[in-house]
Amino acid sequence: MAVVSIDRLSKQYAAGGDFAVREVSLAVADGEFMVLLGPSGCGKTSALRMIAGLEPITSGTVSIDGRIMNQVPAKDRDIAMVFQSYALYPHMSVRDNLAFGLRRRNVSSSEVTRRVQEVAGRLGLMPLLARKPHALSGGQRQRVALGRAIIRQPKVFLFDEPLSNLDAALRVGTRAEISRQQREIGTTTIYVTHDQAEAMTIGHRICIMNAGEVVQIGAPMEVYRNPANSFVARFLGNPPMNLLPAMLEPGGDHARVFLAGMAFDLPHWPIGGLRAQLNREVTLGIRPEDLYENSTRLMPTLRVHVRAIEPLGAETILLLALGQQNHELVARVGRETSFRIGEWRDIALDAAAVHLFDASSGRAISRPAA
Amino acid sequence: MPMRLWLSYVRRTPLLLFLLGYTVLTGGPFLWVASMSLRTTSEIFANPYGLPRHPHWANFADAWIGSNYSTYFWNSSLAVVSAVAGVTVIGAMAAHCLARYRFRSRRMIRFVILSGLVLPPQMLILSLFQILLDYRLYDTLPGLSIVYIATQLAMTVYLLEGFFSQIPQDLFDAARMDGYSDFEIFWRITLPIGVPAIFTTVVLNFVILWNEFLYAVVLMTSDDKRTLPLGIMHFMGDHQLDVAMLATGLMIAIIPVALIYACFSETMIRGMTAGAVR
Repeated sequence: MAVVSIDRLSKQYAAGGDFAVREVSLAVADGEFMVLLGPSGCGKTSALRMIAGLEPITSGTVSIDGRIMNQVPAKDRDIAMVFQSYALYPHMSVRDNLAFGLRRRNVSSSEVTRRVQEVAGRLGLMPLLARKPHALSGGQRQRVALGRAIIRQPKVFLFDEPLSNLDAALRVGTRAEISRQQREIGTTTIYVTHDQAEAMTIGHRICIMNAGEVVQIGAPMEVYRNPANSFVARFLGNPPMNLLPAMLEPGGDHARVFLAGMAFDLPHWPIGGLRAQLNREVTLGIRPEDLYENSTRLMPTLRVHVRAIEPLGAETILLLALGQQNHELVARVGRETSFRIGEWRDIALDAAAVHLFDASSGRAISRPAA
Repeated sequence: MPMRLWLSYVRRTPLLLFLLGYTVLTGGPFLWVASMSLRTTSEIFANPYGLPRHPHWANFADAWIGSNYSTYFWNSSLAVVSAVAGVTVIGAMAAHCLARYRFRSRRMIRFVILSGLVLPPQMLILSLFQILLDYRLYDTLPGLSIVYIATQLAMTVYLLEGFFSQIPQDLFDAARMDGYSDFEIFWRITLPIGVPAIFTTVVLNFVILWNEFLYAVVLMTSDDKRTLPLGIMHFMGDHQLDVAMLATGLMIAIIPVALIYACFSETMIRGMTAGAVR
């Protein structure tokens, strides 16, 4: 049980070079499952390795339960880590892989045996204890790696993209398994991934990073609903949010938006708080699931050209072109669609679900209180 | 079906012929020496290619006892086994450090060690002679052993570093998080995983040093300290040539090498062909 806090953590691999991690601050509560999410090269793994003690810290601090860990060697931080490659010792059996960390810590051999049995039972590794890693499937290796972390009973778990070497079907199952184990054991966990679906489903909170910096921290649905900027908006969600250039104008007591030669009202955006943005270009964001093939309510519609249709079984993805400027627009509709490739059609849009972003900085324009 | 089978034989014929030729070329001389080792010198001069009619197994006893081969064998064993052990331990440690750590002047140290690969022994022999004299190691087995370690270090480090650097960094990080020190990581991770590569260097070094002649002939002078290649040379005097004794001596010298190769060849081939460690 531990609280992990990171304060203005930075990493430069070469003096005078670019920052891999820049001034990252983050607090992970006791027992919390925090996900560091970002595209590859965004600095999330560097941050994790600094927390683990595997990488020297350029500046800032990492503390666990209030104690600064910067100078504490990795082995004394009481942290266990699951690596992307699993890092199972190839010359040792599963049993020895599990016990390796305990033996170093002078745990009595009877206690080692007891804990190996317990963890192997918990993760379904009992029949595999005598096998070497090369004789295991990807999923089994993953569970051994997880077991090796659990068996140590550390203060903190670190996961570095542990599912990225698994196939899609196994990934979903293992994701649920990791989540369940963490819930049962209750150890503070930091989990690095570039997969937004993994982050959304597994974490209590998500910390989204880009170019070495923290962009937004929050509960998954909160971040999904209120992205802090256009990067987060596009990074979370699959297919990503549609971002379109638009003009904002006053339309009575609420905002009115001009988009690809069409205009519609945004009744949920009172004009009062939007003075600075009026008559300027903004970026309008709308998620694919907020576009509707049939407008049942009083919804504004956009004239689109149907370019491609991707039936996924449970749903259908429509790739559309908007107006004369040919802005790409992606819609997610139900299983069946009446749209045909090459047609010009109207697609309805939920004006309440519209996001607005500053056109130059990409920062979200917050919706003024009514 | 029989037609296709027949065709497959035809297709394989050139390869089989090549292999047959190669086997005769390499195995032939060995069998010839083996057959000579069981004949007397006069028999050999009468018919050099003949087979032993009445095998003279006593040749081996004569060579072993009468011709000092037991001493030469013991000297060779001492010098070579200690050198192989030394070069393996030192080489593995050096290779681990070069493969694993990024430290100041790493490239320089690596260059100095590996430059030993391209230095011809003739260039070193005079300076080695002088150094061994200065340290009173000239004409001693420990002196020869130290020279062997120095000369084989470059190849050993070169082979092992290549193998060790393919061991994923994650394994070392995992062991560090498990609480192991740098030396323990070398001992418990690098060495066991590197066993195939280490066997390869052990076999190669053993074969090379067991047959080594130049350093031994320059650095060893007393008869009771000679190694096997020098002992065999002893039977090739200006005025006498005891071919049977020579052949027997060669067989005695070959046996340990053949045994080592027979025991470790599979591990060695694994070491030489190993790509990624998984």
